[in-house]
Amino acid sequence: MPSNPLQDGLRLEPTPGPTTLVIFGASGDLTRRKLLPAVYKLSRGQRLPALFSVVGVSRDDMGDEAFRTVLRDSLREFAGVQADDPVAKSLARRIRYVGGEFADPALYQRLAATLQEIDSAGGALFYLAIPPGLYGTVIEQLGAAGLSKAASAGHWRRVIVEKPFGTDLGTARELNQIVHRHFDEEQVFRIDHYLGKETVQNLMVFRFANGMFEPIWNRRYIDHVQITAAETVGVERRATYYEGAGALRDMVQNHLMQLLSLVAMEPPIAFTAESVRDRKMDALLSVQPLVDPASGATEVVRAQYGAGWVAGADVPGYGVEPGVNSASTTETFVALRMQLDSWRWAGVPFYLRTGKRMPKRTTEIAIQLRRPPLEIFKRVSPTSVAPNLLIINVQPDEGISVRFEAKLPGTRMQLAPVMMNFRYGTAFGGSVPEAYETLLLDAMLGDPTLFARHDFVEASWALITPVHDTWRSEQAGAIPTYEAGEWGPAEADAMMARDGRRWRTL
Amino acid sequence: MSERPDARLLPDGVPVGFADIESALAGVSRDATKRAAGMALTATIVVAGPPHRLTEAAQALRGLTDVGVRAVLISYGDNPAPTVQVSRNTVALEGLRAEYLNNAVAALRLSSLPTLVWWRGGKVDALEGLAALADRLVLDADEGQDVWASVSRIAEHTAVSDLRWTRLTRWRALMAHFFDIAEVCAAAPGFRLLQIEGSDIQSARLFAGWLASTLQLRGELKADLREKPGASPIETVVLSDGDQELTLRMAANGTCVETAARVQGLPAGSRIVSLGDQRLAALLGEELRIRARDLAFERAVAASKGFV
Repeated sequence: MPSNPLQDGLRLEPTPGPTTLVIFGASGDLTRRKLLPAVYKLSRGQRLPALFSVVGVSRDDMGDEAFRTVLRDSLREFAGVQADDPVAKSLARRIRYVGGEFADPALYQRLAATLQEIDSAGGALFYLAIPPGLYGTVIEQLGAAGLSKAASAGHWRRVIVEKPFGTDLGTARELNQIVHRHFDEEQVFRIDHYLGKETVQNLMVFRFANGMFEPIWNRRYIDHVQITAAETVGVERRATYYEGAGALRDMVQNHLMQLLSLVAMEPPIAFTAESVRDRKMDALLSVQPLVDPASGATEVVRAQYGAGWVAGADVPGYGVEPGVNSASTTETFVALRMQLDSWRWAGVPFYLRTGKRMPKRTTEIAIQLRRPPLEIFKRVSPTSVAPNLLIINVQPDEGISVRFEAKLPGTRMQLAPVMMNFRYGTAFGGSVPEAYETLLLDAMLGDPTLFARHDFVEASWALITPVHDTWRSEQAGAIPTYEAGEWGPAEADAMMARDGRRWRTL
Repeated sequence: MSERPDARLLPDGVPVGFADIESALAGVSRDATKRAAGMALTATIVVAGPPHRLTEAAQALRGLTDVGVRAVLISYGDNPAPTVQVSRNTVALEGLRAEYLNNAVAALRLSSLPTLVWWRGGKVDALEGLAALADRLVLDADEGQDVWASVSRIAEHTAVSDLRWTRLTRWRALMAHFFDIAEVCAAAPGFRLLQIEGSDIQSARLFAGWLASTLQLRGELKADLREKPGASPIETVVLSDGDQELTLRMAANGTCVETAARVQGLPAGSRIVSLGDQRLAALLGEELRIRARDLAFERAVAASKGFV
């Protein structure tokens, strides 16, 4: 956060200093769907500095005007904004475009000249919205062109790197080395859009700003934790990427590990970026290896969707999707059982699952508490009462729910579980900002709290990579399948059943 | 292609695409909230069955949707894209292929509310898949469907009941009252003969199973179950052991039951008791008020196998 003491107690939220946002991949999907709409919304909310510009960079042969058309189309399609909208028009006037090959040093000379021309007297934020294979190239070229270092005091240079950050531990380390050759760690913002979601940020507030939850946030009271990230979509147009990634790399290594670390972390000593990230790192380091080094056994289930019925329509199986090898063993679903070797969590399993072509799009963290020690209502309620549950809804309906037992109204003593719900959509009025708005703004402000640090990324890969190695060493054969529109394969249910537990029905 | 929706199912329904159901419901709810603020949803009720059994269920549910349930009505067919309508808190899907019943329910149930499935018939395979998504399953299948064979498996993870069982609640309570008489209770192990007459032989089997399991007379109780077409599901129940005879008989008005007991060879009084509201909506309302596993029902179903 800015160290300016005059910011303390200000009612207005901090606004970044003069900034130029340089988007590599200016005509790509991410830019059109997320980045440009986020910039528009920040602008409409008066959260951007007066001296703000966007420079689009891509291989496409287009000029400033064509990039303005990209902006207008993006805002119309993904933000419902008409061309005559004054904010959109103002934004369009502040847009520039630089085209060329990413490996060509001349591109960066032209970019440097454009930045000088804009002369924002502030900072430049480079956003790498490009295929991961190009990250190294662009970072090396930025460094070679002198764009990674600020020219003078008051100027700054930062880089936002999209996931996936590497494809395994080795490539992640290699990429970190390249990045650190040109940028200091405080200049690097590894983005995970889950961390920009209100509920995820609220998780820290929920835990550390309330006196009632933290005392029970441990092995004495918590039975287990389930983290689910389900998508209804299939591989869509990402087959080329997804075939080489799979659910473990695409979702678990980043999003689910971040959620896990936020649930499991110890309280930070202060709400500062380093303190929070240190405690998250501790949590991740306490996770037991996913592959037993001695036996090679793993508690990870993988599967691939077959044909089925989702969102009201018949859908094909993964193997016949366009761009997918029909003999592919890429996993579209993965379920894991994790054990944390820490004083707080010893003996409390964390179950993670994620998949494509699930019945509904939802991400939630469910914390199931232990049952009361004595079931005094057993006579009136012959089966056990439902255990208390704390549910953190990450998407689509961001909020927190608590399940507890209540007496049903009437003359008899009958028990039933009830929910107490808090929803961001209705609790505070106004609209909840999109994750990319929050994260872009934080990067402009230089606040890395909600971004992944290099050691976290490497520790996460260190957990995941042995699982991939095990899968690779297994004989090529059939991967379990699940019907599209169902909650995953029977093997995932069996994994829970071995512990006497079930996945939550969402 | 979608077919024309059945107007009787959801008279004020608005056609929507499946993927738009949630946003359509949210929109309808916002409008409804202006009219009736403060109503919270308390459960999701899924009704699944063949088309001819759904209209009646939809009518029964209309009263319940006014007290805050999300209702999902699903009729079977062979349409890859079933006709979808929404109205207030109700969704109707017509013509869904039975094998995708669980896919549709998995997408439409609310994880924050208990889900009750009201099963009005269909393939037993689909039933078991659907039950895995429910907190409570209420069977109400056509006669001749052997859905009870699945009860013990389903009950491992989902509370199960049957509307036949719900209809028997008063009959069971009245039979239980007889056993408040000390002599009857003491004679319980000796009851050997049960006669039941009525139009629904499945209800008779269930009642017999309940008596056999609760009195621990499995294999020893001889049941004479007689089907009487056109009568009430249960018309008469007589349990006897020679000295004791306990009788429950539907009164002529069809809304009350006459009870009569002969204890140690002597009449022990009789009374007439209302059967209560036996309409579908009332029966379902009763089921909604119970959330726990019904072990008595499970035992009755298991014991009913001995009676044909």
